[in-house]
Amino acid sequence: MRIPAPSALRQHLLCAIALGLVFLCAPFPRLQAVVHVALVLALAPRAGSPLGSALWAAAGGWALEGTLRLYPHLGGTAWADMTMVLLAGWMAGRWPLEGFKGWLSRLAGLVVAHTLLAHLAVRLAAGPHAWGPGWFWSLLSLPLWGWAAWRALYAGASPRRG
Amino acid sequence: MALRAAKWGWSRAGWQRLLLVLLWLGHGIWALLGPAPGRHWTNVAGTLSRPSQGLAARWTQWRTQRREAARSFAETRAENQRLAAELSQFRTQAAQEAPRLAEADEAVRLLGLKRQIPLDLKAARVIFSTRPAAFGGLILDRGRDLGLVPDQGVLVPEGIVGRLWSVGPTQAKILPADAPNASVAVMLMRSRATGVLQGQGSGRALIRYISNQEVVQAGEAVLTSGLDRVFPRGLLVGYVAEVAQGDLELRVVVNLSAPLDRISTVLLLPPQPPVEVQPPFVAPEQKPQRKRGVTP
Repeated sequence: MRIPAPSALRQHLLCAIALGLVFLCAPFPRLQAVVHVALVLALAPRAGSPLGSALWAAAGGWALEGTLRLYPHLGGTAWADMTMVLLAGWMAGRWPLEGFKGWLSRLAGLVVAHTLLAHLAVRLAAGPHAWGPGWFWSLLSLPLWGWAAWRALYAGASPRRG
Repeated sequence: MALRAAKWGWSRAGWQRLLLVLLWLGHGIWALLGPAPGRHWTNVAGTLSRPSQGLAARWTQWRTQRREAARSFAETRAENQRLAAELSQFRTQAAQEAPRLAEADEAVRLLGLKRQIPLDLKAARVIFSTRPAAFGGLILDRGRDLGLVPDQGVLVPEGIVGRLWSVGPTQAKILPADAPNASVAVMLMRSRATGVLQGQGSGRALIRYISNQEVVQAGEAVLTSGLDRVFPRGLLVGYVAEVAQGDLELRVVVNLSAPLDRISTVLLLPPQPPVEVQPPFVAPEQKPQRKRGVTP
């Protein structure tokens, strides 16, 4: 049974809230990384609307790098976010969601790929850098923010159905 | 709506896709450029221009080597010219100083002769030579101003020259031993036979009054005998050139040892020297004795 996609308004509102949280969580890099990953991989992807998704993801990437103020050349995270959000949107259209477990599994794979791609892009853009524990916290807290995103996006649809 | 379901075109979706592609490519290119965007283009330009840079480097190196070689050649040439100029200058200087050196050598030789003969010898320079003329002689630069008197013996390290014929206030004339009117009392070195030397010209002279009984060999030295009171005994006169039997005496021709045509400085014996003088005793230099086991 396919789960219907959330409305564009709800998704944009959630993306806006997440982007605001990315800015607000700047003093807490680990929490910011989790919110950023949630925005890029869970909230922004939308099948059939790649431009909007890419814009939200790029905004999230630029917000993260801009608030970190660590790299000599910005843009690597934004490009990785755009790539991953396009991939996630394509996956959402190609393989529509059928349950919460599948959602979490997809997010886990996307988190790993996003981590690798983001660090590769940052290395290309800014050179060698420290990875930091953000990826670890993102993966560790995946059930939490995955469940929250599931509930926020697909309101009315209980995770139990998956 | 699936992504691949949309068709490409200049519709709204097409513009959105174009914008998306530009956005994604722009970000990718921006990230790929890195902190120094120009370095990629610099690397590409450097890679493409590497052959031309290699050629330019070789061209520059070749020009540098050629310039250095030319500079080295020019420096070598200038140094060669300088050395040639110095060599010419040294040759000129040597030519200018050659007479002085010859005179110095002559003075050294005269000094040595003067040390060997324990008499009050005086030195004078030959300023003119009239030997090619008949009854010619040698003109000295000193005369009565040096206390010279006629019949003083004149000699050089190679042998006797002659005697003073006439003495002026500041000049004196030498009668060479090979002059036809010159005579010197001589003796043969080996046979000790005495005779009188009479000049024949051109550096040759004839010894007279040598008995046929004497044995004279060519090459035998002829010394002064001291009997004429002009030269002391033992001064070298010359060497026997020819010996021939005569009616009453031997005909002994002597080559005078003194180069009469090339004399520049002479020594003058005192008037009427003793018949025989003993050369001063010169002790041989003692070599330092090396003791065994002691290194200098």
